[in-house]
Amino acid sequence: MSTRLLWIIWIAASLLLASAALARLYIGGDRTAFLPGDTHGVHHQIELACESCHISDSFASQATVRKDINKTCVTCHKEELKASDDSHPIKKFKNPRMAAYWELIDARFCTSCHMEHQPEITIAGLVTLPGDFCVACHSEGEQDVRVNRASHADLTFETCASAGCHNFHDNRALYEDFLVKHADAPWLAPSPVHAAQAMARTRPRPDGAEIAAYLAAVDAPERARDPLAEAHWAASAHAAAEVGCGGCHAPKAETPAQLAADWTDHPAEAVCTECHRPQAATFAEGRHGMRRHPELAPPRQADRMLGRLGLSDPPEALVAAVEAWIADPDLPGAMGTAEARIPMAAEAHGQSLTCATCHAPHEQDLAFAAAGACLTCHTDDHSAAYEGSPHHALWQAEMSGNAAPGSGVSCATCHLPKTERRGAVTTSHNQSDTLRPNEKMIRPVCMDCHGLAFAIDALADPALVANNFRGTPDRRIESIDWATSRVDRPDEGANQ
Amino acid sequence: MKAKATKIKAAILCGMLGTAAVPAVSDGMDYSTVTDLLHLVMSSDRTVYTRMIVNRLAVEEGVIKASEHYMDEKALVLPAQMFRYGAEMVAEETDEFSYSLLSLWPINKQNAPTTDMEREGLEYIAANPGENFYGEEDLGGTTYFTAVYPDVAVAEACWACHNDHKDTPRSDFKAGDVMGGVVIRIPMD
Repeated sequence: MSTRLLWIIWIAASLLLASAALARLYIGGDRTAFLPGDTHGVHHQIELACESCHISDSFASQATVRKDINKTCVTCHKEELKASDDSHPIKKFKNPRMAAYWELIDARFCTSCHMEHQPEITIAGLVTLPGDFCVACHSEGEQDVRVNRASHADLTFETCASAGCHNFHDNRALYEDFLVKHADAPWLAPSPVHAAQAMARTRPRPDGAEIAAYLAAVDAPERARDPLAEAHWAASAHAAAEVGCGGCHAPKAETPAQLAADWTDHPAEAVCTECHRPQAATFAEGRHGMRRHPELAPPRQADRMLGRLGLSDPPEALVAAVEAWIADPDLPGAMGTAEARIPMAAEAHGQSLTCATCHAPHEQDLAFAAAGACLTCHTDDHSAAYEGSPHHALWQAEMSGNAAPGSGVSCATCHLPKTERRGAVTTSHNQSDTLRPNEKMIRPVCMDCHGLAFAIDALADPALVANNFRGTPDRRIESIDWATSRVDRPDEGANQ
Repeated sequence: MKAKATKIKAAILCGMLGTAAVPAVSDGMDYSTVTDLLHLVMSSDRTVYTRMIVNRLAVEEGVIKASEHYMDEKALVLPAQMFRYGAEMVAEETDEFSYSLLSLWPINKQNAPTTDMEREGLEYIAANPGENFYGEEDLGGTTYFTAVYPDVAVAEACWACHNDHKDTPRSDFKAGDVMGGVVIRIPMD
């Protein structure tokens, strides 16, 4: 055999082996090797589902790739941006009259400010521009804020978004007329109560006769009977709402025989989400449940990956063979404490997060779900300081019946806020929604009890946040003073 | 047949509007005809909203307020906001044309002219009441046909709010004044 032929065979075999190894890694292996740089914050939960963000076809133009990748940001963050009454929505910058600004910061694309895999230049909020980015558009001509606002004449641009005054997207609690309108509110309302929380906690409880009737109607098969579970269930909202044992343990059964046949001791989470859809939807938008977001591409699908490699319609046999070869693992499960990158309790190591983690399925102890459950895992400074804090004292007073419903402040009061609409109370299960930045909490939560000025000051004081609000803010954010100095009366300038 | 009918209708409307023909698009309407027609729809809707909703309910009847912060105040959307939201909705759907409501005396500084042609057009329509302005400009690597139409104070709600607002650069608007302009752009490339 000639040397030339041996070389060809050697090169071909090497290429084949390398391709197989890379494909094996990408399709079914540990894709961490492909990460060009660490992702920011909680994106680490989905960083190996590459095709959730990288949706472009192979060899697509740079412009197409940019458009595609920006579409995927909105698939998950759409609701949040819509609710935020976005101050800089993309649609505002699409008009060609903004072309001069595209050269400065192209706000038609999320990635102009938020680049993933760039840990060296990433600051809070996954911002990959220097902190004084406002200077790009608000420092010249008609837009020069130092000219338009006398109070801003000597300010520097790195303070716009870092001092508790402005956010790029969400200014619902910070816009000028809102500051003026709420300028004079006292730091604490005379009877501080969260109205929606109060509604939820004044739900009528079943009396003895009702509980006895519920217990008599228990339809579980004999082998699954559990007096303690039944007693808890009979006092719960499920019993009152006529959701019996079969409703969760054998949801499709219609006869006692089917109930016995279908019975499962551990119903899947889908049973909960079938009825509790708003809670499930908001859970998937938050950090706890983001791996369940419906728009997230399930990683490591052999047929899709083969399509990416050029086989757009692979035969089933090939897909099956590849799947067998790579032993494709299941989708990443629910988020767990082992993967968390914030302080977690050692005892909670290995816990994963499902509905039942916080909601004991029969007990429905909402007091536990509202505070105790959080503290079984979270041990960061703010969480660790909750017990013994003024808010916790209020919570204890309410739970012991010594204070009005809705006057207690649990973890959930602030992080899983309730809203009332047409008499129905819904709990948002997106526990990140009132954060990032924390001024988002002011309107749906803080202002139920506190004045706007106090809330702004308190949330701008990191030490006070860390010690769970034991004390008073160490700073005075001047935005309200500046806003009121521009008007003679509170309603002036509100365009009314 | 349909295209021909459209062209005929466009020609009739064009005649009604008294528009001078601008270089023709091959087998279609002139750019200026298209912008004239778009503006006719925009200005009609805008006038209806301003007169029949905002002015009637907020100024004459006083049954509801109109407010920039219409969500918080449970109020009517301001006419300028109604127009802008429509423009933004269009921007989300197409790049085939874009429009905006601008002024040399904007309350919201975002609505000041950002291009030389916008400024030239706004100055032209303010100095020549009743006339429109047409031109071409290069923006972001694309050539646009740009038309600027006068936006006239049609109801008390317009000048009352603009004259009184704390951020207004001009406080002497009256009925019939050109308060700003509608700028419509069509990419020519």
